[in-house]
Amino acid sequence: MHNIDDLKDINGKIRLMQEIAGELAERAEDIPALQRNIVRIKASLKMLELNISDVLD
Amino acid sequence: MKADIKYWNPALETLPFEEMRKLQLKKFRRIFRWAYDRSKFHRSLYDKAGIKPEDISTYQDIQRIPMTEKSMMRDIQRKDPFPYGDALCVPLEEVTEFRQTSGTTGQPVYQPDTWQDWEWWAECWSYILWAQGYRPQDRVFIPFGYNVFVAFWAGHYGAEKIGCEVVPGGVLDTKARILKIQELRATAMMGTPTYILNMADTAIHKMNLSPDKLTIRKITCAGEPGASVPATKKRLQESWGAKVYDHAGATEIGAWSYECEAQPGGMHVNEAFFLVEIVDAETGEIIEEPGKKGKMIITALDRQAQPCIRFDSKDLIEWDKTACPCGRTFRLIKGGVLGRVDDITKVKGVLLSPTAIEEVVRSIKGLSDEFEVIVDKIDDNELIKLRVELMPDAKKDRSLVENMLVDELRLKTNLRYDLEFHDFGTLPRYEVKAKRFKDLRKKN
Repeated sequence: MHNIDDLKDINGKIRLMQEIAGELAERAEDIPALQRNIVRIKASLKMLELNISDVLD
Repeated sequence: MKADIKYWNPALETLPFEEMRKLQLKKFRRIFRWAYDRSKFHRSLYDKAGIKPEDISTYQDIQRIPMTEKSMMRDIQRKDPFPYGDALCVPLEEVTEFRQTSGTTGQPVYQPDTWQDWEWWAECWSYILWAQGYRPQDRVFIPFGYNVFVAFWAGHYGAEKIGCEVVPGGVLDTKARILKIQELRATAMMGTPTYILNMADTAIHKMNLSPDKLTIRKITCAGEPGASVPATKKRLQESWGAKVYDHAGATEIGAWSYECEAQPGGMHVNEAFFLVEIVDAETGEIIEEPGKKGKMIITALDRQAQPCIRFDSKDLIEWDKTACPCGRTFRLIKGGVLGRVDDITKVKGVLLSPTAIEEVVRSIKGLSDEFEVIVDKIDDNELIKLRVELMPDAKKDRSLVENMLVDELRLKTNLRYDLEFHDFGTLPRYEVKAKRFKDLRKKN
């Protein structure tokens, strides 16, 4: 079982990934292959948020 | 991955009750704000009740919020934006999934989901399947006619998500599905209890094959309460030589409840993803204490395209007072879903539950799995006809079986029935949800 510090560290990395996904989404308008894959990545990151971040934030 | 990891997500599945309440309140406020800001339907409903998102600051505040129900969704659908109407909270182009309810209780309701919602469905199912012992080394066979109903689509994606190998048994007929299970040595499968029993029946009587000699060791049931009905569960487990787990979910709600490997006589509510309230059907008061039945009001805390907020599911449930030995802190509902408020009807002044009849019929060895109940009114007399099938090897014991049936029905339901015995295999068989209960009183 992870301790709270571990979870906080994991959460930090989840937030970082969400930030990067958001940046890529902004640059994806003319590239459907980037845009649609980012939609999927963001959905997966949302699941990490529901599983980890929501308990901590 | 370590082989013996017990929980899909220990951070949520072992969260203490008070912390869970805080999390639920936080998430409820988030989904309420989301719906209020984006859906005309929700905003109008809450404005009429004089409730705004900022009014919700305690768990008790949630109880003041108006409930929604299926008839409201039927009213708004097929209007703009077509075909979902104004409960839709996202632009139409963000909808990637269409599903609809089975129409058991009337006109089907359409259900849109975004890709994130679909990922969420699979996530909810991952909690279920992991708790039931599914692991990446499982080969999962899904004997389901993939179509507009969500049930085992979501199970399919959940099994994939946890790493199982998934075999879609779509358009195959029952015999071909059984042969495919045999050929591929599938280790687990999912289906309605009715259909899983039907498959066992086909294997034994039409293929001369014993299902318990196949390799299926886990079965997840959904769509009907059967896997929580002890006599049905026993038949399922004995015929397949497998552990049979119940799961409850609904198209417009999500996959909200499941039995775990400990099989404590009830199902866990996934309280991190759903807020379940139990309401006294007569008084409307919230029931917090275990042991008292009421109807379930449920909120899907993270579903976005068409939110499900304080939805009156009409399911009858009660909290269990015991904690589960599996260690999950998600509370248990005792005996699973006990029935539907719609299904429980008064006959001759006595409450009749179809589930109670199922428990009696399937506890008697000389009877097959199938039965039909028809309630009618002739002149001023209410009558209940119960059609059952006698197993071929029980024909010589008919009077014994009949006496047992009469006694058990009287004991468990307090009612008298006109019994009709039919030959084995002559009552209807079902692939998805069975329709065994017919009330002709209003019609006549």
